[in-house]
Formats: sequence, structure tokens, C-alpha cells
Amino acid sequence: MYLVLENIRKTYDTKVAVESLSLSVPKGVLYGIIGPNGAGKTTTIRMIMNIIAPDSGQVIFDGKPVDKTFVDRVGYLPEERGLYKKMTLREVILYMAELKGCKPAAAKGRIMPWLERMGLEAYVDKKVEELSKGMAQKLQFVTTILHEPEIIILDELFSGLDPLNVELMKNVLLEQKRAGKTILFSTHVMEQAEKLCDFICMISRGKKVLDGKIGDIKAKFGKNAIQVEIEGDGSFIRSLPGVSAVTDYNNYHELRLAANANPHSILKQIIERVTVRRFELVEPSLYDIFIDIAKVDPSEVEKPKEAANG
Amino acid sequence: MDKFWVVFKNEYSQVVQKKSFIVGILLTPILMGSFILLPSYFARKTASNTEYLAVVDQSASKIGEGFVSSLEQYKLEDDQTQQYIVDTLITIHRGDTAEYNRIIDSLKTALNNDEIKYIMIFKSGVEMADSNMLLISNAEGIRTVNRFEKEISKIASTLRLENSNVNLSVDSVLALTRRVTLPQQDAKGESVDFGTKWFASMMFVMVIYFIIIGYGQVIMRSVIEEKSSRIMEVLVSSVTPFQLMLGKILGLGGATLTQLFIWIALGLLVYAGSGALAMNIDPAVAHVAFNPLVLVFFALFLIFGYIMFSTLFALVGSLVNSDKEAQNYIFPVTMLLVLPFIIGISIIQEPNSNMARYMSMIPLFTPTLMMMRVIFIAPSATHYSFFSGILGEATLAFILLVLTTLLIIWVSARIFRVGILMYGKRPTLAEIVKWVRY
Repeated sequence: MYLVLENIRKTYDTKVAVESLSLSVPKGVLYGIIGPNGAGKTTTIRMIMNIIAPDSGQVIFDGKPVDKTFVDRVGYLPEERGLYKKMTLREVILYMAELKGCKPAAAKGRIMPWLERMGLEAYVDKKVEELSKGMAQKLQFVTTILHEPEIIILDELFSGLDPLNVELMKNVLLEQKRAGKTILFSTHVMEQAEKLCDFICMISRGKKVLDGKIGDIKAKFGKNAIQVEIEGDGSFIRSLPGVSAVTDYNNYHELRLAANANPHSILKQIIERVTVRRFELVEPSLYDIFIDIAKVDPSEVEKPKEAANG
Repeated sequence: MDKFWVVFKNEYSQVVQKKSFIVGILLTPILMGSFILLPSYFARKTASNTEYLAVVDQSASKIGEGFVSSLEQYKLEDDQTQQYIVDTLITIHRGDTAEYNRIIDSLKTALNNDEIKYIMIFKSGVEMADSNMLLISNAEGIRTVNRFEKEISKIASTLRLENSNVNLSVDSVLALTRRVTLPQQDAKGESVDFGTKWFASMMFVMVIYFIIIGYGQVIMRSVIEEKSSRIMEVLVSSVTPFQLMLGKILGLGGATLTQLFIWIALGLLVYAGSGALAMNIDPAVAHVAFNPLVLVFFALFLIFGYIMFSTLFALVGSLVNSDKEAQNYIFPVTMLLVLPFIIGISIIQEPNSNMARYMSMIPLFTPTLMMMRVIFIAPSATHYSFFSGILGEATLAFILLVLTTLLIIWVSARIFRVGILMYGKRPTLAEIVKWVRY
């Protein structure tokens, strides 16, 4: 394992932010830490970055507890963004790269290709304060990875980005992964993790509720959901025998089935009442699994929306 | 250590590149020059406005007339117009109190309407007691009061002489009773007066003061900016807080030194230029300001005073969330810088008193107070030793300053480390103490 967290724990005064959390991140994967706001994702990442010290437990990177050499091998994008407003893009990128131990000559050659990739090449000698929020975020992403770190840690990378830029970032992340980099990122939007990650760790209220390969997790929870798109009032579906829960996505309903339920008979009962446009047996979404496993109130968790970010 | 240089280089180039840095280099000497030259220029300048006055004379000896005619010698800057014009000269009989009160009341009205500036009242026996005269004004000028006193003294002395048995003119009496001025020389045979030393000490100490307070606040703001824009999180995941703090302080310090070197170079150019123009620098000033001991200790006290205080300013920056909040914390630090100027007044009067010795040994005051003492004592001393006298004391104070600076850096770094990642609430003193121990 490349990055290992061993029973790390952090309390603020009396509130437990992270409770004996352990996770293992293999090399060269996209690893997602997911959970609702306030679950402890940022605290966990800050402990990995050694910005705050855990009360107990330790973080091991590449076989050794994290030390000073770790900072040059990691690229870190904090949740709260910010860069020097009065410096030009070129200066900021160069400074951040040098702070990460990158040689200026090497860094200089990488600036323009990255800015072109992000569509910021025209701003290279402009001041950071002239950028829009989305542009500044892309710039900060560039400063995070310009020194070509082995492991990239991104806290809520996608927040505040429009769908086009989310797509751009996803492509960059996949490229980085193909280049052998390990990427750890947190998000409270589970759909993003679902589409992108190889591995996930779900945390809720500071505790790990589930982790592993995304395929394994879905397989484990079986094909026990149905998506059905109907015309008319679907409120009766909830009371059909064999249906344990219904999530109303406005355009369609997602049904969780009770054990031993028969999808065929459910379809028959729906067709008798309304017109069915689509009926599909699906894997449960991470959202549904999370609600199920973490036993949390669904209102605490951001619900995936139809046609949400990419 | 590499990371320290990255921070150092960035801070240095960010400051040196700024327009304000170049403007500051050019503007500061001009401002300093005007500070020195303008007051004396204005002081020397003769008045440009005529001032009106009323003279009320109750005396039998007609002092009023003599006073009025003595004022004729004072002219405006054009050397033609009278500075003082007597609007009314009123002579009243001594006993007529009702008339006196009526006149004074009407003159006071004129005074309040700015028609006249002064009411000068003489009663009988001015030469006997000062209480027999009175000057009324809403906005008296100190120079005018001095002139009036001088002229009235002459008149009073004349009257006193007339009443005595001495048969001499006033001027000869004044010449005979002239006060002496004591000529001074230091052990090296130079005649350096108090004024020159005072002036030189103010110049050197002001430079130290302005650099510390100016750049200290720059450091504080830059820490606050990094905190409020949340760059800090990226920074502390790349460099240690200690490297960051020291890189900032010394990077800016380097910029300050650059500025000083440019000033010195400019100064030497002007000096060389003035030599060519045969404008010689006052030898007394040169004796004090170009003394090697003064220059060496100036450099040492400036550098370490700067490091010590900018560490404190960086510390303040790490404890607050905005410039506004910083004002509360900055007050004690600023007081530490202003206090020596108040203490300094007594130190320059008695630079070798025990109080001066002890106060200038307090490291927080050393850069200013010991600097003053070095300027007052060192240029005149003939014998220097590292174990006694001014050189010994200044060296000891310097060692204490360096040790204290290191201690302050150590303590501040421990608080800084935690403070820079604290958002929202301001830490209590108890928490700060905990951070130092942790």
C-alpha cells in the first residue's frame, strides 16, 4: 500500500472530528473520500498533509511515516482556495513550484503548456486578481501539480466549477492516473466519485462506514434497485409489496427492493396503474448505498440530480 | 534551508519590484530633508502680515510712547512695512476706573472681532513690579511676546537707572552685565555642541524607528494576507512555519538593506558633489556622524532591532484575521518603539547616568537608546575598551540584543506555527502560552 492511515483520530474540544479512521490507498489509483459536509473529510486530508497533528494514530507514505520529504512528493489543493492577488500567474506558479522543491528551470518550461491546457495562456503575465473565480481555481490546480508530484491530494476539487471545467479536470486526473500518479480526492457529491474513482471510502460523522473497490462495493450490494420512468402520479409505488424504499428524482423513481422481491410482479402492478416509459434493473448508486449503510437521514446528504455536473 | 531561500527570494523580489519601493527610495530622503529644513526655514522667515495693537497707558512716566516708538524697528520681510501698527494709544488718568473699564471692554470687543491682535496695558510702576503691566491676546506669537519683553525691559531698566545713583546709559549697563557662554571642547579637542549631537542622534534613531515600524507593518500585512486568502495552508504544507517566518523577515530585511545602500550611495554622490561645489560639511557634524563606532553600532542595532521587532509584527499578523483586528495587538509593539523617545529626552541630558545605562541595556530599547548614547559619548571618547566605557556597554547591550532576538524568534515561531492556521476566533493569552509550551 502506498498511503496508509492507521487509526487516526482528531477531536476539537469535545467534538470528535475523525474517529479511528484507517484506510489504504494503493499506488496509481483514483481514490475518493466521500461523505456529506462536516463528515470529517477535510480534517482527514489535513492530517495526511501534516497541517494538523492527529491526536492518535499515524499516516504512512511509501512505507515510512510521513516526514519532511513528503511535502515535495505531494501536490495539495486545499478546500479553501487562495493565491497571492498581486502576483502574476507566472510568478505565482513559479513560486509555488519552487516551494515544492522544483528547479526553476524545469518549472518555467511547464508553465505555458499547463496554462494553455487550462485556457489561461493569455493571462500569464496578468495579476491573479484579474482572474474570475473559476479561472483562479484552475490556476490553483496548475500550482498543485506543476512540480509533478507522485501523489495528488485534492479537497473538493470540483466545487465551484462549471460542467465544462469539471470535464476538463476529470480528463486531467485520468491522464495523471495513466501516468502512474496516485490521486486522492474528497467530494460531497457522490456521483462524481462514482463516475471517476477506482476506490472509495465513505465517511460519516467522522467514522468510516465503507471502503473498497467501487466495483466490489456495487457487486456486494447487488442489483437490487429499479429505475422506472412513468407518466402520471407515482406516489402509489411506495406502497407496492416488495418495495422497501423509493427515491423520487422528479424525472424518474428509483426503487430499492426488499429481499426476495420479484421485479416482474412490481412492473406488472405499475403498468396496471400508469404508462411506463422506461423500466430498468440497476446497480444501486453510491448515494443509495450510503444512505443505507450509514443509517443517516437522507436530508443530510446531497442528493444526485438529473443532469448534474457532467 | 533551500525552502528558506525560496521564500526569501520571493519576498525580496516582490518588494523590490514594486513601484512604491522605488518611489520610497526617492521620496524618503526628500521627506527627511524637509522635516529637517522646513521648520528652521519657517522659523527664520520674517512675518508677512501686519499686526495691529492697542496700547493703554495709565503710567505717569509715559511708558506707552516709548514702547510704541521702539516697535518701529520691526519690519515685514519687504523691509519697508511696519510689522506692528499701533491702532490706538490711549492715555488714561490713574484714578479713572470707570473710564478704564469702558475702554478695556471696547478694546476687547475689537480684539474678539480680530480688528486688533494685542492689547498692551501699562500701569504706573512698571519698573517696580511686573504685575503693573498686562498683555491681552487671543493668539499671541511667541516671537512677538519675546520682542515686547525685550523692549519693555529696556524701558524699565532705563527708568530704574534714572531712579538710582548710577550714572550710566542703559546700553553700557547691559554690556557690563552680559551673561557668559561657556565654550566647550571634548577630550579630542573638538568643539561639538549639544545641538549637533542631539540632531545627529535624532537622525540615526529616526532612521531605525521608521525602518522598523514601516517594514514591520509590511510583514504583518503580508502574514495577514496569507492567512485571510488561505494561501497559508498550501505554504505550511510546503515549508516549515519557521522557514516561512524567517524567509519573510529576512527577505524584506534584504530589501531594506538594498534601500539603505542606495541611500548611502546617493548620499556619497551628494557629498562628493557638494565637495566639488566647495560646500563643506560642518566639521562638528562630520565628527559625530562619520565616527566609525557610531556607524558600526548603527548597522548592528538597525539590523538586529529590525529582526527583533519584525518578528513581533509577524507574530501579531499570525494571531489576527484582519488589519482591523491587528490594531489592538499592535499597540503594545508600537509603544515599545515610542517609549524610548520619551525616555530618550532624559538620557540625552545625562547620557552617562545610571538610569541611562540601565535603560539602554534593556534589549527592546537598545536599538534606540543605546544608539543615542553611542552618538553622545563615543565620538568624544579618547580611549575605547570592550570591557568598560561606552564601547563595553554598547557591546554588552548588543550581545543581549542578539540573545533576546533569538529568544523572541524561538517563542514567536512556536506561536506563529499554530496561529497561522487559526481562523475566526482570536486566541486568548492562555492559549498562546499553551502553544509556546506545546
